[in-house]
Amino acid sequence: MIGVAAGRVLSAIPVLFIVSLITFGLMRLIPGDPAAAIAGVAATPAQIEQLRRDLGLDQPLWLQLVDYYRGLAQGDLGRSLLLGKGVFAATMERLPVTIGLSLYALVFTLLIGIASGIIAALRQNSWIDQAAMMFAMIGISVPNFFLGLLMIILFAVHLGWLPSGGYVAFSADPLGWLRSLAMPAFSLALLQAGLLARITRSSMLEVLRQDYIRTARAKGLPQRKVVLKHALSNALIPIVTVVGIIVSLLLSGAVVTEALFSIPGMGQLLTQAVLNRDYPMVQGGLLLVTTFLVLVNISVDVLYAVLDPRVRYE
Amino acid sequence: MKRSRLAFSILAAGLGLPAAALAAPFTCPSRGGDIVFGQEANVNSLDQMTSSTISTRNIAMNIYESLMTRDENNRPILELAESMEESGDGLTYTFKLRRGITFHNGKPMTSADVVASFNRYNRIGLQRSTLDNVAGWDAPDPYTFIIRMKHVQPTFIEALSSFSVPIVIIPSEHENDERQQLRTVGTGPFRLLEFVPGSHAKLGRFDGYQPNTAFEQRTGFGGYRVACVDTVTFRIVTEASARVAGLETGELQAVEDVPTRSLDSLRRNNAITILPLQNWWIQIALPNTANPPTNNLAFRRAVQAAMGMEDIMDAATDGNFRLNVGFQFPNQPSYTDAGKETYNINDQARARALLRESGYRGEPITILTNRDYPPMYNAALVMQQQLRAVGINANLRVVDWPTSVQMSQRVNSDEWHFFHSGWGTQPALGALATMQFLVSPGANYRPRDDKDDPDVLAAWNDMNNLRDPAARQDAFARMQRLVLERAYAYPFGSLTKVQAVRANVKNFVPFRIPRFSNVWVQR
Repeated sequence: MIGVAAGRVLSAIPVLFIVSLITFGLMRLIPGDPAAAIAGVAATPAQIEQLRRDLGLDQPLWLQLVDYYRGLAQGDLGRSLLLGKGVFAATMERLPVTIGLSLYALVFTLLIGIASGIIAALRQNSWIDQAAMMFAMIGISVPNFFLGLLMIILFAVHLGWLPSGGYVAFSADPLGWLRSLAMPAFSLALLQAGLLARITRSSMLEVLRQDYIRTARAKGLPQRKVVLKHALSNALIPIVTVVGIIVSLLLSGAVVTEALFSIPGMGQLLTQAVLNRDYPMVQGGLLLVTTFLVLVNISVDVLYAVLDPRVRYE
Repeated sequence: MKRSRLAFSILAAGLGLPAAALAAPFTCPSRGGDIVFGQEANVNSLDQMTSSTISTRNIAMNIYESLMTRDENNRPILELAESMEESGDGLTYTFKLRRGITFHNGKPMTSADVVASFNRYNRIGLQRSTLDNVAGWDAPDPYTFIIRMKHVQPTFIEALSSFSVPIVIIPSEHENDERQQLRTVGTGPFRLLEFVPGSHAKLGRFDGYQPNTAFEQRTGFGGYRVACVDTVTFRIVTEASARVAGLETGELQAVEDVPTRSLDSLRRNNAITILPLQNWWIQIALPNTANPPTNNLAFRRAVQAAMGMEDIMDAATDGNFRLNVGFQFPNQPSYTDAGKETYNINDQARARALLRESGYRGEPITILTNRDYPPMYNAALVMQQQLRAVGINANLRVVDWPTSVQMSQRVNSDEWHFFHSGWGTQPALGALATMQFLVSPGANYRPRDDKDDPDVLAAWNDMNNLRDPAARQDAFARMQRLVLERAYAYPFGSLTKVQAVRANVKNFVPFRIPRFSNVWVQR
């Protein structure tokens, strides 16, 4: 198993190289002047020109590419034009915030999605099934930005239960972290929960029709044991596949949520970097996020084999 | 050498008060408390020497101070300097520093720190061209700092006191800090406690602060300043709705840029005070005069005649505007309405006649704008409709701000005909800072091969070089008239930015930055 995981990691290297090359090229293809963006609306043309020279943006493109790969070869992702600090350090400040938010949202997603999917499958074609699937449809249809705003108005302005925005670090105050991320995580989770509920329902329906489930019931096993042990564990393969994708979607979906709730995460960092044409930050930040997602996908592959003994990697 | 002592005259001009009246300085009616300010834009760095962004200035100017700054009416005043003398030949400026000033790290400030600050600014300061005409500087004793000029520059003090990218005074040991990595230690009333980019910056009262006793009240960026509250946290809240929600819940005590749609409900809330900040920026469009048909004066005048400024400004600002002729705000001493007959004409018959005179044949016209700044996009949209109404085939090209700037700066570009922008900081700094946008190399109207209109250039040179301030003001009026009459720019009016505070936050007066000195929380 370790050999398989190591092989997957090695095969990810060309992927990361291609991602780095595409990111470099795309950023240069986007029109727009990083110096103008960084200097702001109040800058004079002379200041913008000065900044362009200071930042080395007047260097030929090939030289910038060579510098970039030379840095990568030495483990240096470069220095953010906007922040004036190392890309790796800036990413490591923000990535844990987004991962924390995504994991929190993942918990909501799993609880809501799997529970409602199982209940809907067990009560197929009943009003409970229809209500659960309608809830899933709403979750998929409502933009998380809109949902977030509604939640702010209800839970922060009118009820005063939760803060309207801002971020509290887990290390500083775990309860404050839970409170500050409750609304962002829920609004982020709802879309994915709807998706997961539908997948869980269809996967469960397929398994519940299998002979071994009928046998388990005929043996007189309690419903809870039949559902959770025999049905759910066999329905998990497609669910785990979707959860792997959901993790990626939660990370990318965090962009909007972070902006709405003023959370200093990776989404905000990369959005600002793209809008301001902060080339090193976008290149390095995306490379690190891609690395993280590749590792998540490798973990999912490994998890298949753990969950289903029939799965073997040669 | 005949020397003229200007310190008092600058102070008196800044305050409008005789020295004898400076007797009862401000005291905090209440001390303590915390303020959280909802700021709309991200802050990437607090290095005030290398950033011209408003979001950096908002925070940094509560932390740092300079030798000179600007008062409430944007006139130069002394800040860390006690006096300033200009030599009779105009080639030497001698600053005497205030004594007893300490940095936030406890170190006393001396002229060695001023020298180090100027050295760093000259190396990497974003506006280091301010020092192009400076031959050198030195510090003959710990409380004297001397600047020697290469040539006489009557406007040097105006440039030196600029708050756009000010030469803030930092400890000498920070001289070699790299760009955007300046350690945040100043002499201001607040010191930095914590900075998390993208999230917040928390400032605390600096108990070792020495207020400037030459004044009795805060004025502009300087004056007699006292930190009454314990802490001020600038929290980045980019979404306007979230800022309003935070203000309503009381999580935020002050916010900037309140959207018009929220104003009615906020006005009904007794716990909140709305504070309009007039003259935030001048909404403006600039023609590309390098190519036809905008290189044709009759065509540009037709455009001028077609436009109704009320409609453009109303759409651009959601109703928060004032009509305003020219390139200065009406509250400024340098304001002039020269060229007013070119403003807000809104006469379609005249526009059509001028179009015929220009020989315009319906060629497509591109209005370049962006959505990063909604007022610019909305102004362009109304301008497009007004031009179409007189028969101009106007089209919008919407890109983002960095792209529009890049496109607008290409010499002899044929990609656009009108470029939409907003001028805020420069008009506030005065006529000189503003009109640099209208001469090469930064001429926003983009003349062919960047060759200036010789009449405009002559007026600009007079603005810079005449020794008599009144003559320089006349030159500015002449330049404004020329620019408007020759339609090198179409200023639409001035935008009002709305700020709001909780009602228990007292003495918060809107200005170019949110100032938290002399602000207290009523208990």
